[in-house]
Amino acid sequence: MLSARFCWRRASRSLQSTVRHNGTTPILLGALNAAISRYDTSSEALKTIAIKDNIVTKDLPTTAASGILAGYTSPFDATVVKLLRHNGYSIISKTNLDEFGMGSHTKHSAAGPTLNPYSRGGVRLSPGGSSGGSAVEVAAGQSWAALGTDTGGSVRLPAAYTGTVGFKPSYGLLSRWGVIQYANSLDTVGILAKTVRDVRNIFSDLNKYDEQDPTSLPPSIRNRISTNPHHRSSTLRVGIPTEYNITELHPLVRSAYTRTLQHLQSAGHKIAPISLPTTKEALSTYYVLAPAEASSNLAKYDGVRYGQRTRDPDSLPKENLPLYAKTRGEGFGEEVRRRILLGAYTLSSESMDNYFIQAQKVRRLVQRDFDSVFALRNPLLDDHVDRYARDGQGVDVIVTPTAPTLPVTVEEVKQQSSIESYMNDVFTVPASLAGLPAISVPIRLVDEEAADLEETDVRSVGVQILGQFGDDENVLNVARLIEEQQGR
Amino acid sequence: MKTPTARIAPLHLSRTLHSSFHANLRVPRASVVSKWLRSRNLTTAPALAQEAVPLRKHLKDEAKRKKAEAKINGVAKKLKTDPRLEKWELAVGIEIHAELNTECKLFSSGPTEGSDGVANSRVAFFDAALPGTQPQFQVATLLPALRAAIALGCEVQRKSGWDRKHYFHWDQPNGYQITQYYEPFAKNGTLTLSASDGVPTSDLNGADSIGIGIKQIQMEQDTAKTTHHPPSTYHIDLNRAGHPLIEVITLPHIHSPQTAAAVVRKIQAILRSVDACVTGMELGGLRADVNVSIRERGTEGTGSSYSGVSGLGQRTEIKNLSSFKAVEDAIVAERDRQIAVLEAEGVIEGETRGWTLGATETTRLRGKEGEVDYRYMPDADLPPLVVGSDLVDHLRVTMPELPDETVDRVERQYGVTLKDAKTMVDLDDGDRLEFLEETVELVLRRSGDQATDQLRVGKLVGNWILHELGGLLATTETSWATMTITPVEVADVLVNLQNKQITARVAKQLLSTLNDTSTSPRPSVDHLIDEGNLRLRPLSDEGYEVLAMQIMDESPDMVAAVREKGQKGKIMWFVGQMVRRGEEGTVEPENAREVLERLLSD
Repeated sequence: MLSARFCWRRASRSLQSTVRHNGTTPILLGALNAAISRYDTSSEALKTIAIKDNIVTKDLPTTAASGILAGYTSPFDATVVKLLRHNGYSIISKTNLDEFGMGSHTKHSAAGPTLNPYSRGGVRLSPGGSSGGSAVEVAAGQSWAALGTDTGGSVRLPAAYTGTVGFKPSYGLLSRWGVIQYANSLDTVGILAKTVRDVRNIFSDLNKYDEQDPTSLPPSIRNRISTNPHHRSSTLRVGIPTEYNITELHPLVRSAYTRTLQHLQSAGHKIAPISLPTTKEALSTYYVLAPAEASSNLAKYDGVRYGQRTRDPDSLPKENLPLYAKTRGEGFGEEVRRRILLGAYTLSSESMDNYFIQAQKVRRLVQRDFDSVFALRNPLLDDHVDRYARDGQGVDVIVTPTAPTLPVTVEEVKQQSSIESYMNDVFTVPASLAGLPAISVPIRLVDEEAADLEETDVRSVGVQILGQFGDDENVLNVARLIEEQQGR
Repeated sequence: MKTPTARIAPLHLSRTLHSSFHANLRVPRASVVSKWLRSRNLTTAPALAQEAVPLRKHLKDEAKRKKAEAKINGVAKKLKTDPRLEKWELAVGIEIHAELNTECKLFSSGPTEGSDGVANSRVAFFDAALPGTQPQFQVATLLPALRAAIALGCEVQRKSGWDRKHYFHWDQPNGYQITQYYEPFAKNGTLTLSASDGVPTSDLNGADSIGIGIKQIQMEQDTAKTTHHPPSTYHIDLNRAGHPLIEVITLPHIHSPQTAAAVVRKIQAILRSVDACVTGMELGGLRADVNVSIRERGTEGTGSSYSGVSGLGQRTEIKNLSSFKAVEDAIVAERDRQIAVLEAEGVIEGETRGWTLGATETTRLRGKEGEVDYRYMPDADLPPLVVGSDLVDHLRVTMPELPDETVDRVERQYGVTLKDAKTMVDLDDGDRLEFLEETVELVLRRSGDQATDQLRVGKLVGNWILHELGGLLATTETSWATMTITPVEVADVLVNLQNKQITARVAKQLLSTLNDTSTSPRPSVDHLIDEGNLRLRPLSDEGYEVLAMQIMDESPDMVAAVREKGQKGKIMWFVGQMVRRGEEGTVEPENAREVLERLLSD
């Protein structure tokens, strides 16, 4: 049995090399800890892909950055991995994450934290999370692209913090067979790359119905999506949710965001203020639902059939403790334990109605908010339910900042409480709750904006584009448009 | 039992690979997961076969035991009814878990049979709860479940859902069971029971039958099997993990332990007759939990209610009963315990209790405070189950005959009594009924005139199969299952009897001979008749007279008794003497009697 720790060490060793990033900044990759395991032989292939370590692979261990899965190697490949191999991509590494995807800074990992290539005042920035390892691999040029997973923003936030493109497709388009569940009603496979075009290519290779995933959208709905009446003119109606204009918005984020909107407007597109009234409740809803599902999905990790197991008999029949209380107590990290407890509480019979059921209701409201502003009707809803769509008045896409601030340094992260960490997800969570396609595109700060930033700082801000369910193509189109406006 | 299944008292799970005892076992070809489990040093040695008492044997033993008990207690027992039952009224609801008769598991393509019972050989990735696996509902499992729902008179729901029921146990690989808690697929059924099902007359209240409400039927996953290898090793076999079950939940409409057992028996018979499940309760295919409460007659109990049935006392649940006897005895014990507690001014706690066969009391397993909070939650991976009415209609039309319908048909078609028809249907898994049908068919075909004779032949064959063959098995202490006599042989014997080729006495002898003769190969019935010179060679009238006179001369007292005292019954003694004294297969009783009556009246 190959211990995960051994893999991590091996991975670090193979990365003790200095590469030049962005042509200007020297970066010591060895300190980044982006990969958990990696092929020893460097790949000659052009299209190399790093895979987040909560997506199972047959030939490299899959640990989800958890002690409880230390040394675990899956007997099968995830469907997305199979498709990548089939399409000639070369899988080169498994990347670090917040254990089971729970976190926003890729610091809650049994493999230790992943660091952003960028730094401020000599201190590394947070790479965002939970797909921080995948984002850093792409940002540092270690892989051409990477797969992550996005449950509440776990692909988009790291993309914004590392200056890469991060795409979360509509729920159900990419297969989750072989993706280790965190909150399975929200989990989606996401794609990280340097450009929108690369993201799109990978997306079209993975966008296939998979009968092994019961939540994979069946061909009938895929067909309905592709024939959804578009009646779009060449000019876009771009929705700007007033609720996203929060006081916590960092001036540089606000400035880059406004500049993006101005560019769109000057290109002839129409900017329309919209209201998504349930935005404020979305974050707390997410932090009720996701832990609830996590407490259920993580119940299978008992060390009996696979994974780490505490050696000594740990049952205490007198105290009514099951066989593996100790195994679970030692195998899971602090944040995972916190969320399992939270989730078990909100599902318990006395609080179910107050938390889980309420949160499900709010989730519906969040979905309705979106359905009421998009021009396109939701292909999952029957006509008679679709009473919110406004004729010709709706927007084609919604554009928002991806995160309220620039990435903080890892030192500042240490000072943050869990709740403050959860705040990073405020703009990304609504799309997850509604299952909508969303992409984060980096907007490079112009010189006057970046005047106070060091050369080593990230010097870009993530802007997020959201679309109606199934309107992934359009979201990618607008992302490309915004990318082009920056002359890329 | 040598290897009790352990569902409680988790102690220590040994992960040592094959103990020395198992090291020598052949390791058969197994599934990917099995190999992979072995690679993790997880014990996959075959569990020792559990001793299973065949249903038939159990029923027989049970009947014997009851007979013996009745003899001992006799009338005394009837008089000894507990006077406390005049005051206290029992209410019981039952939950029955039955394994569905399907080829694959509920949510994976893992097979439910095969590999000769090798442990962990029928395990798909999902069954072992491997990271990244998801459930895939197997539509084929729905058919037996729907047949069960229709047979139990339930409304099949157009839309139902799947929920996770969480609890930690190593026999539950995912840490939760997928079940239908919020929206079961079938609701509101009724089970009709009559005295012939075993309902005591006191429960019938003068009616022909009673109806027991069925609250719902849900589909769910079975757990893995654990075998305990003392002192502290447990083996887990995931073969059963994920096998589809249905849980049938009755309303607390049951008011006696006997009726409770009758309900379980009848549900089992129905499920079996529509091919919804294969194995009987005694083989572990069926398990029951019972909810027991009592209230003082004429009161509202503690005001508890369950699914619309109100005015109940506080109930307790007795889990994991695996035989009819256990159901009946556990309820008796729990009823008596509750009465004793309440009569001593105590309070019944809502708790879970256990029962072991042969015990006189139920034992407390856990109280309310020890209750598991199952944290039921809809399974977000599984879309709702939608069942079209066309499918339900199709199944309804093509449904096999239910036991009550079969009894009715047998009574009408073969002219046997209700009691005989029911016995015929109940015995030997319906094997006797098949034997009857085949034999009647053969006899009719050989005797030509079909339509008019069906009732007469049916009655004749029924009698011989139930009483003569039954008697033969009883005296030789052999079982139906091992009996080698075939319908063809019985038909041969009965056709000869009908055609007056042999006497009834010879017919019985022939059956006995056949039963004793090995089948490889056995001479034909006609051969046996010829060989034994058993064919009826009718005596002439003179022959009868000579024989009769001879016997009359030897017994003047008897002649006098008939002639002078008018004791006509004594004639039959003479008939018997003639049959015995005449050469085998020559004296027909009817003829003998005729001759004797004539001679004795002179």
